[in-house]
Amino acid sequence: MQEAILNDLKMPYCPGCGHTVANKSMSKALVDMDVHPLDVIVVSDIGCTGLVDPLLTCHTIHGLHGRAVALAMGIRMGLEHPDKKIIALQGDGGATIGLQHLLEAARHNLDLTLVVQNNMVYGMTGGQTSGLSSTEFKEPDRPESAVPGYDICALAHNAGAAYTARTFIGKDTAELWKEALSTPGFSLIEIVEMCPAYGLRKVQELHDVSDYESVISKNQRPTGGPHRAEGRSLLDALKPIEHTCEAPLDGRLEIIIAGSAGEAIQSAGDLLSTAGITAGLSATKKGDYPITIGTGFSVAEVILSRPPIHYTGIDCPDIMIVISQDGLDKVRSRIGEHTLVIADTKLGPELEGLAGPPGPTDLLTRDFRKTGGLKGAALAAIAYWLQDNGFLPIEALVEAASRHKHGDKMKVIIDKAVAA
Amino acid sequence: MTTTRERMVFLDGSRLIIEAMARAGASAYIGYPITPVNWLFAGAKQRIPIALEAPDEITALQWSAGFSSAGVFPVTASAFPGFALMIESINMSFMMELPMVIILAQRLGPSTGSATTGGQGDLLLLRGCISGGYSLPVFCPSNLNDCWDMAAASVHTAVNLRTPVVLLTSKEMVMTNQNMDVSGLKDVQLAERHLHEGNGAYKTYGVNGNLAPPFLPLGNDLHQVRLNSSTHDMEGITQKNSPEALGNTERLKNKIEQSIDDYTYFDHDPDEGADTVILTYGISAEASREALGLLRANGESVSLLVMKTLLPVPPRIYEMLEAYDHIVVVEENIAGLLRELLYGNHQHDRIHGVNKIGHMITPQEIAEGVRQCRKPS
Repeated sequence: MQEAILNDLKMPYCPGCGHTVANKSMSKALVDMDVHPLDVIVVSDIGCTGLVDPLLTCHTIHGLHGRAVALAMGIRMGLEHPDKKIIALQGDGGATIGLQHLLEAARHNLDLTLVVQNNMVYGMTGGQTSGLSSTEFKEPDRPESAVPGYDICALAHNAGAAYTARTFIGKDTAELWKEALSTPGFSLIEIVEMCPAYGLRKVQELHDVSDYESVISKNQRPTGGPHRAEGRSLLDALKPIEHTCEAPLDGRLEIIIAGSAGEAIQSAGDLLSTAGITAGLSATKKGDYPITIGTGFSVAEVILSRPPIHYTGIDCPDIMIVISQDGLDKVRSRIGEHTLVIADTKLGPELEGLAGPPGPTDLLTRDFRKTGGLKGAALAAIAYWLQDNGFLPIEALVEAASRHKHGDKMKVIIDKAVAA
Repeated sequence: MTTTRERMVFLDGSRLIIEAMARAGASAYIGYPITPVNWLFAGAKQRIPIALEAPDEITALQWSAGFSSAGVFPVTASAFPGFALMIESINMSFMMELPMVIILAQRLGPSTGSATTGGQGDLLLLRGCISGGYSLPVFCPSNLNDCWDMAAASVHTAVNLRTPVVLLTSKEMVMTNQNMDVSGLKDVQLAERHLHEGNGAYKTYGVNGNLAPPFLPLGNDLHQVRLNSSTHDMEGITQKNSPEALGNTERLKNKIEQSIDDYTYFDHDPDEGADTVILTYGISAEASREALGLLRANGESVSLLVMKTLLPVPPRIYEMLEAYDHIVVVEENIAGLLRELLYGNHQHDRIHGVNKIGHMITPQEIAEGVRQCRKPS
């Protein structure tokens, strides 16, 4: 017979406390099941239930109020030994504050056992009622019209727990413990108990509270556990960019590309950056877009530079490529005295109307949508601009496009833009 | 003409951080979605053997603690709103002495603030987040190379000291793409826990010389392990305020502070004879480097000190700062958090600030701040 998981220390509970009986049942169940104490991990909560921690001869971890189940889940997912028993101990207060964790454990159906020792009160702090307290439980400060308590067995069952049971202290609960501990997956036992200090003091009084009834429910579900995979190096996954041509740029060039969601603005920014690197420059790119990425503006900020780039911010860009009204509305205020604006034709009248600073030094408009379509207009504008001014050789842009999964389509757009 | 560099790629800080942590031994990533750590989460799903979505940030830290107690090194990441929820559980992990890394990517606050705007507003939160004022080691990358080096240092320090460690970064660092020759990155060694060996008696919090106790996982077959978040003795048994338990708690402070020289990281670029130093960290560092170039090109002598170990404040930092008449502290907040951390609320005339919110501080603004502080009042 295995040794008990309780040592010889005196139980720290008030005379007549249900926790004493519950813990002895736990120990008896494990001895009956021939489980060695070092094959057991008890995760205890804050509250009277956690006071058993020093008496345990198994592995112990004594954490925060209400979090025992979440902590137990982490242990189960981290342990390589599925045969180890994990038991989480909570009171009704811990189950109330940690209700989300309880449901999550049931949903995942991880192999662990939670025992909620429901004595209907917070015993350590003066006997306040919890989310599991019965409406029929009378204490001086409890209003008559109190809201009903959670039925955590029903909640856990509906969330997918493999095994849930409610019982009353006073009977031998060891058999329930054994059934719960033997059931693969998440098991929950709620034990309705006395609290001689603040709660009900007699077993019969517990039975007289009509909110609680003995119940056993089961779900046939696979036991949960984390998926493990050998990850691939994030660096190896990146295709190196070869320096295959030269850009005439000596200094730093700041470019803003502005359009709408769905117009491949970020891809265009990446492509321009890659082209710059292909031509021997340093490059940075950052995106700006609403949290709802499927609507509204999309802005890419690109810096190309011969010297290494430290500061990655742009105030007034040297070049601004604007292909939609959303984009223009977002970046209009950043047009500076020296900004060259390249815009889709339909935005021309509005940009021409910008009088005085801020206003572009130069404005070029073309029908980039006609050349590139919805998703290729920004790329068409970039190609047109590069062909026009020669900051980067156009073959750098073609090379960058060839790395892309839609490279062939992109090259067609580049060719059309250059020809135009 | 074709010139092939060793390995030039276009990447972001998130990718470097996750890869370096994985190589250092991070085996589990537990995340709850929040901007701007989305790319860290995405990278972790590809790279870290176990990558999980927690239902909230409290759970993320509790699962992390569970993994760590079983011997698996966990990483999580969040921004202020999620980090605030984690704090009680970080205290728990600190008290239990469970190694892990929490990546905190700063964004504009207070509260929900602006999710996609950078910021540097959480330094003093970290200084005070452990009840009692105990320091968590906090590292802060200033550029892509640091994302690699400080990520690895975070894991190693967490393992060596048996403690949670925070890697403090910002939206601009983890969501900006830059070109980088990754062939120059340093090799990252696997961080291995110092384990209790043999069949002799084991106390979970027993120490011998090294103030970080040797580790054994929960569930091991040889020795009982008692992890405890409450004040406890060396066995891990709750004690109200016994001398042994208070001594154990005091050890937590000494453990972090005594080896600070082993994990002090900074860049000091002194200009001979300079009476002014720009002091900065994180995303304001690169603008400061550029400002340094502007000033020196103009014949203005100035030094630069970039802190990468922020907490506990390394004594070396004060030693270096002693050499200067003017200290210009650059940080993207308006309260001057690093200034307050180093010099309190009653600051000497030689301490100056360049501060801003909502946008990155520009090199020109930093240069102007340096010039202003030198003007006779």
